[in-house]
Amino acid sequence: MTTRRTPLASRIGLPLAVAALLVFTLFPVYWMVSTAFDPKALTRGSDLLPSGVSFEHFDFVFDRGNFGQYLLNSAIVGIATILAAAVLSLFAAIAVARFKFKFRTSVLIMVLIVQMVPLEALVIPLFIQMRDYEMLNSLLGLSIVYIALSLPFAIWTLRGFVAAVPKEVEEAAYIDGASWFRMFWSVLLPLVGPGLVATSIFAFITAWNEFVFAYTFMKGSDKYTAAVGIFQFFGENTTSWGPVMASSTLVTVPVMIFFVLVHRRLGSGLAAGAVKG
Amino acid sequence: MKEMLVGDGSKAGSSGSSGLSPAAPTDNGEAARRRKRLVNLTRPWVLLAPSLIVLAGLLLWPLIQVGKLSLQDYKVKFGGGEATFTGFDHYKDLLKSDLLWKTVLPNTVFFAIACVGLTVALGTAVALLLNRLGPTWKLICSVSILAAWAMPAVTGTYVWIWLFSPEDGMVSQMADSMGLIDAETTNWFTERLPFYGIATLNVVHHGFPFVAITVLAGLLTIPKELYEAGELDGANAWQRFWKITVPTIKPVFLVVTILSTIWDFKVFTQVFLMPGGSGSNPDVYNLGVYSYIEAFAKNDYGAGAAAAVLLTLLLLVITIVYIRTLFRQGEEDL
Repeated sequence: MTTRRTPLASRIGLPLAVAALLVFTLFPVYWMVSTAFDPKALTRGSDLLPSGVSFEHFDFVFDRGNFGQYLLNSAIVGIATILAAAVLSLFAAIAVARFKFKFRTSVLIMVLIVQMVPLEALVIPLFIQMRDYEMLNSLLGLSIVYIALSLPFAIWTLRGFVAAVPKEVEEAAYIDGASWFRMFWSVLLPLVGPGLVATSIFAFITAWNEFVFAYTFMKGSDKYTAAVGIFQFFGENTTSWGPVMASSTLVTVPVMIFFVLVHRRLGSGLAAGAVKG
Repeated sequence: MKEMLVGDGSKAGSSGSSGLSPAAPTDNGEAARRRKRLVNLTRPWVLLAPSLIVLAGLLLWPLIQVGKLSLQDYKVKFGGGEATFTGFDHYKDLLKSDLLWKTVLPNTVFFAIACVGLTVALGTAVALLLNRLGPTWKLICSVSILAAWAMPAVTGTYVWIWLFSPEDGMVSQMADSMGLIDAETTNWFTERLPFYGIATLNVVHHGFPFVAITVLAGLLTIPKELYEAGELDGANAWQRFWKITVPTIKPVFLVVTILSTIWDFKVFTQVFLMPGGSGSNPDVYNLGVYSYIEAFAKNDYGAGAAAAVLLTLLLLVITIVYIRTLFRQGEEDL
């Protein structure tokens, strides 16, 4: 009765669709990496394979482009962001997941609304604010902005992780005579740990990828972050695509590895509506 | 659970009741209860305070400032700015300008519609595909999707520019060898349509993974019996999709559509970084880029702020729709 009528179509169609998907998703990544290693990057045209494998573009990027400094700046800003964002968002997540209080729903909705605000609307007043406080061109000033940008998503995601810890575990700690802070340190924190790590990595990626603020705030070339630093390899008329793709590879690859590692833990949070990767 | 949060409170009560005096325990109990209530009342706010201060200082306050700024002429002066109140002049200028109605708004809106439509369609198709694959291929495809998702906007944009770059880019060369264009003279980035075509490709490539993975999670919740019943009734795959899949997980489609709309309305980096996107070609402005250029390239912070407020209001409307959708679904247990 229920004979499958489409064996042929699906035998051909399915592999075709998979192939198309793999090409569409991975080809840009492949083209970036293969151009980065191609010694004759500019003239490769539509050759699918690079003309050779060399590290000259990477050498150029580090020696002449000062890209090591930019990667370091990005790492410093990213780490400052996750340290602060992890602590702040964990406390806030506990508050909204574990306590019932007045205005709790309002706080949550405000957090949701605030992350929909376009960055272009924030960059003008924050630029003026930071200029008044002489925080432009400072990694600290940039980190502070990124902490704020990554907080809403972190609170929203961690709230799920905290709520998933059974209340009975906490209650058991109280019965054993633990104070709230003891319970937090020895019970809640270890259980929420994996979620906290995943959320922190996501905050790091947010800071690492961000462009508008870094581009607007950082005017001294020694303070560029990596995402902005690539820009300098664009010439007036011609672009040296080898170095551009080499530095792009250096920026992209760590993000991809981290993202594939943590996405499973963030699944529900990403769906709850937040930042795009 | 609330009672358990204050361990020392209950302890004080129990030690009180073991005393001999009958009046003392009730006093003690009363004091402990009051303290417990106070702690319960203050602790969530103590925990929330640091985050709320940061969000208020760096997101809410700037929003108020950008509103104020849009009513002023702001001049950057050494060691501070100089502001003159101008009322709604910037809004009047903005709403009267041809650039807004003929270029900026159409670019923003049509680009967003194209991106959202393609992102949701492609994401859904990929979710249906993933749902039919065996475990190995499903894993391979999922990782490749994640790679596209993880590609930073900045570097992703550079790769697309490189692919379509005039003369040397791969797509230009291929089109040239097929006789479609002359690679020497064709520049995809100068005209509005091809410019935004490439930007759409970039945004869809980056955006469809979120839709695919969210819709796939929704597909897994649909009972198989529904499809079996549909098949028995003679519905083909197309009908089963529109009559069973779509109505059953309509909330999921709503959420991904609204979120994509919010994101695609405020695309900035992907347009700004493209050749001509950072100000030299006014034909390709969208609202975000326009606001940025007015403020930072032309030093007209007031006009830039007015455009930014317009964009924010647009997004706020969509966001309210989004939150109402979430609530109606009752999925988010706030």
